[in-house]
Amino acid sequence: MSLLRVERLSKAFGTIRAVDSVSFEVRPGEIYGLLGPNGAGKTTTISMISGLLKPDSGEVFVADAAFWSDPQKAKRIMGVVPQELAIYDELTGRENLEFWGRMAGLSSRDAKARAVELLNALTLTDRADDAVKNYSGGMKRRINLGCALSHRPKLLLLDEPTVGIDPQARLNILEFIRQLRESGTGILYTTHYLEEAETLCQRIGIIDHGRLLAEGTLGELQDRLGGDRVFVLEADFKNSGPETWEGFDRRFRVIQKTEKQLVVAAVGARDPSECLKELLALPVRVENVTLKRPSLNDVFLQLTGRDLRE
Amino acid sequence: MLRVLLAKDLRRAWRNPLPWLINLIVPLAMTALIGLVFGGKSDNGALGRIRFAVVDEDKSFVGDFLRRAATNEKATKNFEAVFLERDEALRQINAGKISAVVIIPTNFTRNYLTASQPVSLELIKNPAESIHPAVIEELLGAAVTALNALSRNFLSDYPAWKAVLDGDADSHQASRLFERAGDKLKAAKATLYPPLVTYERGKKADAAESKGGKPKADDASFIFAYMLVGMSAMFLLFLGNNAMTDLHRELRKRTFERYQTMHEQVWPFIVSKVVFTVVVLLICSAAMLGGGGLIFRVHWQHPLPLLALTLGYAGFVAALFAVLVALIPDERRAGALNTMVGMGLGMAGGCAFPRQQLPAFLREHVTPLMPTDWFVETLRNLQSGGAGVEWRFVLLKTLMVSAVLIGLAAMLFRRRFKTGLRA
Repeated sequence: MSLLRVERLSKAFGTIRAVDSVSFEVRPGEIYGLLGPNGAGKTTTISMISGLLKPDSGEVFVADAAFWSDPQKAKRIMGVVPQELAIYDELTGRENLEFWGRMAGLSSRDAKARAVELLNALTLTDRADDAVKNYSGGMKRRINLGCALSHRPKLLLLDEPTVGIDPQARLNILEFIRQLRESGTGILYTTHYLEEAETLCQRIGIIDHGRLLAEGTLGELQDRLGGDRVFVLEADFKNSGPETWEGFDRRFRVIQKTEKQLVVAAVGARDPSECLKELLALPVRVENVTLKRPSLNDVFLQLTGRDLRE
Repeated sequence: MLRVLLAKDLRRAWRNPLPWLINLIVPLAMTALIGLVFGGKSDNGALGRIRFAVVDEDKSFVGDFLRRAATNEKATKNFEAVFLERDEALRQINAGKISAVVIIPTNFTRNYLTASQPVSLELIKNPAESIHPAVIEELLGAAVTALNALSRNFLSDYPAWKAVLDGDADSHQASRLFERAGDKLKAAKATLYPPLVTYERGKKADAAESKGGKPKADDASFIFAYMLVGMSAMFLLFLGNNAMTDLHRELRKRTFERYQTMHEQVWPFIVSKVVFTVVVLLICSAAMLGGGGLIFRVHWQHPLPLLALTLGYAGFVAALFAVLVALIPDERRAGALNTMVGMGLGMAGGCAFPRQQLPAFLREHVTPLMPTDWFVETLRNLQSGGAGVEWRFVLLKTLMVSAVLIGLAAMLFRRRFKTGLRA
């Protein structure tokens, strides 16, 4: 059983196809990462899943029920953390949690009790009665997250919840999200931070220009490159390149090529030292060769031809 | 849920009171300012006695005539004329003790009667006052008109009149002069009486006058009430716009969107914002109509209909601006349009100018459709008498329009959210 199933979801704004036939699913106790650069279609996808936007085509199933057959029921199952800090600056952290708890359907007493629990879990008890406008960026992010958790949702949609905060605050939030997963919550997590997707998510979908280019576990995505290692060559590739080297494409897969750098992966399970020898024997003056484990960025590079960090 | 949403908005307003205090202070300041400008009333709410000085540098019978006229019982009810030297009169006007100074210059009477050269009276108005000096100016204008009329009809007899008044003529000359004047007045009677144009007091005023029990609003009080109602209706439009910008903020901060991730229906959110705006408008109305009433000594003749109509009107204003937010979610772009809409509704609805002074097309085809007109006209009619004013029907109409506007705002927001609303 999946908590969330998205089937061929599409949305266009005028001539721009923001989301193009995207399909994936999120299971209980799983963090599914939707990784892509800004403008890839992550937020539009979350907006359609949470009912803020009506899809042009495709279906969303929440706990195996079509979202649009009973949107209110689906909304009770999910909690949504928007990318923006959708909280009230004039209210205290406690008041924000209580207010959004009431909006989620809790009674006044339950909302108060849940706010205390969340403040404790988010380590904000000592600042609970300060106005949110006096909080640091990280504290605001935590309250923003907490406001979606009042009703203990089974499915949590997190839209870049760590944008714009310092590394320590980010680690705190990521740790909190891990705890949520351990309690059985299914989480859809959008990010453009490779490290977050690599360390946090059980499965990752790579999205760009509205299309889901690949998905799988980190290992499965690395395997797409043909092994668990990639070679980075630094040389002058202006006048000489893989297309002119005989038999190169049978031995190596080009992940990225620029005038100064060539990233390749070996085809098949081959000895890295053999590969290194072959690369050093290429008809070009190699200045440096690096052997490394392929990252999600390398996968993204192979899929899109550009760096996720660009 | 409405209660929770409203409590949230009120708490936010309480925590950040400055914008709301400004909202409250502006109408209060405007009311006080107008009170100062149109100041000078007595405690009973009327204009009070107008104190002015006469400087008689002519020392002729005209001055004596003015002195006698100004001290008769009828005149002293409304005017207090003091006869001073020029320096003292100027000192008193500078000190704000008198409203105006009328100066009869040297040789005024002689020049007038001999028509040897143009004559003029001098009027100095107290710039710190508005109505009292204007009344003196009006009176002086009437006196000048009368003097001109006399001059045109009796110019040929002026030397003889001067001789009689100076005591240089004998009784025969005087009697002939009176006889000629009598003949001229007799001839003029045919053209003066019966008058071609007359006026009579309106029935509404008569009805108000004859109505027993309740105190009748005096003319000055009615003018201020008339102005205050129009001004308040206009201000409530601007204040409603200001209060509803909170909905823009909710869009910008994505809190409205967050609410939508929890609830399918948007109308509770819109209604809560309308109720919040109505609360703000009612507080401002109390400041304007209540505070203004105290300043101008306006006795509101029908407080319950006044309250009910203000409530209905506040609902209309809030719902209208909720629709405008739905139409133009961008706060900066909406600002200019909302101000124009407010101005247009105020002007065309007879808030700024009396309905009778509006262009015929507006007056006949547009103004009657405006809830602003329903509000101000009904309140003005109630204040000027109230007999037969169907305020309950007007209230019902206004509430119905408000409900339709709230529904329209909810529908527009729903549609815009589904297609990707961004503030």
